[in-house]
Amino acid sequence: MSTGTSAKEYYPLTAAQKMHHKWILDYKTQQVSGVSVVASLQAPLDFGLLKKCIELEFQRYGCMRIRFTKPDAKGEVKQYIVAKETRDIPIRDLSGMSMQDADNLMQQWAYETFDGDDIPMCDVTMMRLPEGYNGFFIHMDHRLIDSCGIVVMINDVMQLYTHFRFGSAYPSDLADFEMVLEKDLKRANNEKRFAKDKKFWDDQLDALGEPLYSDIQGPSVLEEARKKHGNKKLRAADIELKELFVAVKDYVLEPEPTRNLMDFCMNHQLSMTNLLLLGIRTYLSKVNDGQEDITIENFISRRSTHDEWTSGGSRTIMFPCRTVISADTDFLSAAYEIQNIQNKIYMHSNYDPALIEEEMRKRYHTPEHTTYESCYLTYQPMPVKLDNPHLANISQHSKWFANGAATKKMYLTVSHTPEGGMNFSYHYQTVHLEEHDMELLYYYMMRILFKGIAEPDMSIGEIMESI
Amino acid sequence: MKQEMQFKTIVAQYCEVKPEEMTNEMRFREDLGFSSLDFMSFLGELEDTFDVELEEEDALQVVTIGEALELLDRLVEE
Repeated sequence: MSTGTSAKEYYPLTAAQKMHHKWILDYKTQQVSGVSVVASLQAPLDFGLLKKCIELEFQRYGCMRIRFTKPDAKGEVKQYIVAKETRDIPIRDLSGMSMQDADNLMQQWAYETFDGDDIPMCDVTMMRLPEGYNGFFIHMDHRLIDSCGIVVMINDVMQLYTHFRFGSAYPSDLADFEMVLEKDLKRANNEKRFAKDKKFWDDQLDALGEPLYSDIQGPSVLEEARKKHGNKKLRAADIELKELFVAVKDYVLEPEPTRNLMDFCMNHQLSMTNLLLLGIRTYLSKVNDGQEDITIENFISRRSTHDEWTSGGSRTIMFPCRTVISADTDFLSAAYEIQNIQNKIYMHSNYDPALIEEEMRKRYHTPEHTTYESCYLTYQPMPVKLDNPHLANISQHSKWFANGAATKKMYLTVSHTPEGGMNFSYHYQTVHLEEHDMELLYYYMMRILFKGIAEPDMSIGEIMESI
Repeated sequence: MKQEMQFKTIVAQYCEVKPEEMTNEMRFREDLGFSSLDFMSFLGELEDTFDVELEEEDALQVVTIGEALELLDRLVEE
């Protein structure tokens, strides 16, 4: 494994990368930053050609070549992009197993860590899978890439493959990662923009005061934190730092009800993210004695321009979506209230969310390692599907694997299935939560959302009572 | 005219329509396919490029390219 490392440019991490880096420091393991996926087709593949395409992808997609320097005394690192990765792309044969066993084995690989400085943070393995599926498994550090970036990468590899194999058009160039990185860093250093962004976040605290923690399991969690810290007025609860094991529970919403949700969004000019946030916040309100002040961490992809979409990198970043909604607000108005705040957040999403946390610690003197949020949401409008006309009629097996170490109590990823439904993937810390908690959350989220879209004039309080 | 072209060049980074094919009646969301995030990111880029300050409430009322251009003209003049 050698690299061309002449005339390296060293860059600081972006806010999105810093978010993952901070988790690595806080939790003392790189495992929390792992992201893994397998993409495969039920068709024979020319593995020699696939290997060539993956090697070519390392050249086309600069983020795959990012490395990090040794941490300084504060634990901070710089990043650089090596000119060339000449690394092995091994092949593993799991075709003799059941698909479940193969998935279980790949799940184990997803727990592995990239330990060391100045080393590659991306592994690709070609896979022979059961039932005639063939493809590749990718294991990366989230500081290099987010899930949208991975989907773009998988599609690009397969476009290269179909170009060389079937003579389809050569895929368009991907945006230069380094150029987009430089633009992002320049924007983050724009003093005027920084001041505007800071003002927006500070104004929110000025207007609403200190947030109030709300837990999936109800008010007892905050009460416990209050007892532990000897502070009856404490508004934040402890973060789990030691027992990070995460379990995943997926629920699939069928295509027809999914269409109903989507139609509601379209007819009322709402985005699905905001509808989902409303579903979660209403559940939290219900199980926390009607608490009106609810904060949920929402992940934003920050991919809007063509260059941002195709440059790879880790652009996804989370911001607290805080709303104070009274029980007599009707469902539709509540959705618009969330949309209004989310739109403003989008406009200020260049800001480093660590600075929001820092400001709150300064203002409210919250104890170390406490939080105001128990729920995190990612909505992925982009399906994990090989988007290639040459592969349209071939069965696909794609699966995301949890890294096995949750920094968050409950992290919900909502994505669209190839069949037109929606997948609700709940990642939860097993030390505090059980599958039954996820069942309840999903069940009530659906009851809330479908009651709300059926009767958008109904108040949030009435909906909470009726379900 | 130069400002309008610069504006449309920025818009084109967010959609599949070329600057020369854009009309004032085109709506950001319905015709150009902007998501809420795209639109708000675009507004931030307008602020940085033209060194103007958009009032969020005004900006959220903008639906078409023509309306955005009008708002931009007004802010640049101010």
